[in-house]
Amino acid sequence: MILFGLVAAGACGALLRYEVELRVRRRFGPSFPYGTLLINVSGSFALGVLAGLAEHHGVGTDVVTILGTGLLGAYTTFSTFTFDTVGLAGRGRSGAAAANLGASLVLGLGAAALGLAAGHLV
Amino acid sequence: MPESPGTNGPSPRHPGAEHPHHGPGPMAAIAGGGALGTLARYGVERAVAADTLGFPWATLTVNVVGSFVLGVVITLLAGRWPDDRWLRPLVAVGFCGGFTTFSTFALEIDQRARHGHAGAAAAYLVASLVAGLGAALVGSALARGRTGPGPEGAYLPDPDLLAGDDPPPGGHDATGGPA
Repeated sequence: MILFGLVAAGACGALLRYEVELRVRRRFGPSFPYGTLLINVSGSFALGVLAGLAEHHGVGTDVVTILGTGLLGAYTTFSTFTFDTVGLAGRGRSGAAAANLGASLVLGLGAAALGLAAGHLV
Repeated sequence: MPESPGTNGPSPRHPGAEHPHHGPGPMAAIAGGGALGTLARYGVERAVAADTLGFPWATLTVNVVGSFVLGVVITLLAGRWPDDRWLRPLVAVGFCGGFTTFSTFALEIDQRARHGHAGAAAAYLVASLVAGLGAALVGSALARGRTGPGPEGAYLPDPDLLAGDDPPPGGHDATGGPA
């Protein structure tokens, strides 16, 4: 049963990521991976909320697995983040690579912590 | 030094195919790849069962392996198979995106730091970055094979290729090769 949930959630997460990626790119252009940054920060916040709810309000482990591992795991991506960063540096844009690295870490970790706190408060 | 044919420079694109991944086929490939990547990640997590606040080997593994695979696939697509229409949505956007995760990585660091395991949090962060960035670099370098760096020193193909959009007409040079 959980496998069906994971399949559906994983498919939805990947499609959602692609849709957000395309929309952000149309608006801000391809010079910096704003789309992946937005996806990873928003997904980290959402996973923080989910983890906070699970810790304090007893959300079931199956729900956490399907939404956390499935939906948000497929929505956010580590491989695009590393590949984009290495690619920017490789094309001589070290400043943009460092900015992507720093912004992803600071905003991503901050968003997860904020989400966790929000999930505890609810 | 002459490059082998097809390894650099713009490829003949599909005329009029502004967003090659739109339409039911490529969208299904993204969904299917995402589902497979998610199942594979779940399998790794089950196999590498750990304590709640132990070192997150499972996430580290999927993120490093996924970065390597993405480096290989995108580089091959940019250089050797520029007209392939399935590998990018299925493997790059779908599988690698579904297999790797940034949200779990961020949460695992926060949780360790919050419970007084700051050293473990820092070690996990650094290991993920060094191994993940290194894996993307090595994967791409291996896929480039003997063609070496592009003439403008571009080591990797443009990450913008990831989403599968065609580059703007006459726009930036996608692979660092001659226009």
